[in-house]
Amino acid sequence: MPEVKPTTVASENPQTYEDVHVHAVYDEIAPHFSSTRYKPWPIIAAFLSSLPTGSVGVDLGTGNGKYLPLPSDRPGAVWTIGLDRSINLLKLAKRAGDVDREVVWGDVLDNPWRRGAFDYAISIATIHHLATPERRKVAVQRVLEAICPSHGRALIYVWAIEQDELSKRNIPTDADEDRRHTASTDQAKGQDVFVPWVLAQPAEAKPKTRRREKSGQARTPEPAEAGAEAQQAPPKVFNRYYHMFAKGELCELVADAAKELGLTLGDTSSGDVRETGQSSKEHGVQIVQDGWERSNYYVELRRWER
Amino acid sequence: MLLEACSLCYSVLYSSILAVLAGMVRLITHNLLACHAKGCTSNNFPLQFQDAAIELRDAEFNADFLRGFLPRIEWPALVGAARQLGDASLPAEQPEMLDDEFLQKLHHVLLEIHVEEGAMVCPNCKHVYPISNGIPNMLLAEHEIG
Repeated sequence: MPEVKPTTVASENPQTYEDVHVHAVYDEIAPHFSSTRYKPWPIIAAFLSSLPTGSVGVDLGTGNGKYLPLPSDRPGAVWTIGLDRSINLLKLAKRAGDVDREVVWGDVLDNPWRRGAFDYAISIATIHHLATPERRKVAVQRVLEAICPSHGRALIYVWAIEQDELSKRNIPTDADEDRRHTASTDQAKGQDVFVPWVLAQPAEAKPKTRRREKSGQARTPEPAEAGAEAQQAPPKVFNRYYHMFAKGELCELVADAAKELGLTLGDTSSGDVRETGQSSKEHGVQIVQDGWERSNYYVELRRWER
Repeated sequence: MLLEACSLCYSVLYSSILAVLAGMVRLITHNLLACHAKGCTSNNFPLQFQDAAIELRDAEFNADFLRGFLPRIEWPALVGAARQLGDASLPAEQPEMLDDEFLQKLHHVLLEIHVEEGAMVCPNCKHVYPISNGIPNMLLAEHEIG
């Protein structure tokens, strides 16, 4: 059974690295991947349900677009536009929920929008595919720049080193130990890993009698039914690159990203209130909530100005 | 014979799947996109449609959504883009009264005109963003990234 294994990112060209270990993989596994991604996570569904009718947002790294139809209790009350790097996932996203969706082929490191045009942005299970801390910070900045400076809201999810006990994934704890011992600063450091995706090969042209595996037997690491057909070509394994976040790392990343954009981190009462008479507005971002849900760290943000 | 019938079925099925997948740049998205090529930071909105092949498709009307979204719209850009695509139904200025007749027109312009093929061109740097199967390609080559 393939397992999650530690990896080291070749630092010369992270873009090329991601092209090979993220984008090409998703383009190949798109339909199979999509068939396993349909259940929205509760905090994300609650976030989208809390948006006022008339809100327009962007899903940066939309994948198969599973969040585009939400909120399910008020379909059409808000519009989420999906962006992704994988054209094959986008082809699925544009009919997510069997309704025409708006999707854009783009990169989460780019900014192809009017500044601050959106009421909200979500970036779910995407930023962990970026191969350097700098690139992950830029991706957070793109989220903050996409939303309205006065009221924009955002929700970011990334994979956690701390995995759910129900997770089928096996996390390399030895590398974890090394990482802790070698950490030279007190900053939270995540773990770079390859996570296999097992794709069953198409059955042989000549049909044979096949024996179905009993349920509960050797499962593939993802909730996929790959390999269930016993008499066919061996399944193809794709290694996807992930940066698994350590506790506290996501909020640090947000703080770094905000600082570099000149945003005050905190609620509207934080920091030094500027002297009256100053004409330019002060801009900030508040961490509304952060936490861990089902093997992921999340952070909800709100931008403000005063 | 049987084989031929099957392959015909498959090709019919396949083309109908493609028809369903044929997608959309609608003016709601066009109103939010801007050129992001390196150094292109002013007069980079709105993108201009070029060789646009359009299709009209019904969408669910939601008056509350439209009322809520209206303040976020760049109005002259929407009116201009609609006219480029052959729809002159919107007034040059946003009306004060948001009656049903106006909201129906707004709904049609924002959500029912689909640009399937063509391109969007930056008014400033002339960068061309192709639209294929209704999906706009906003990716830049490495040397074009700002």
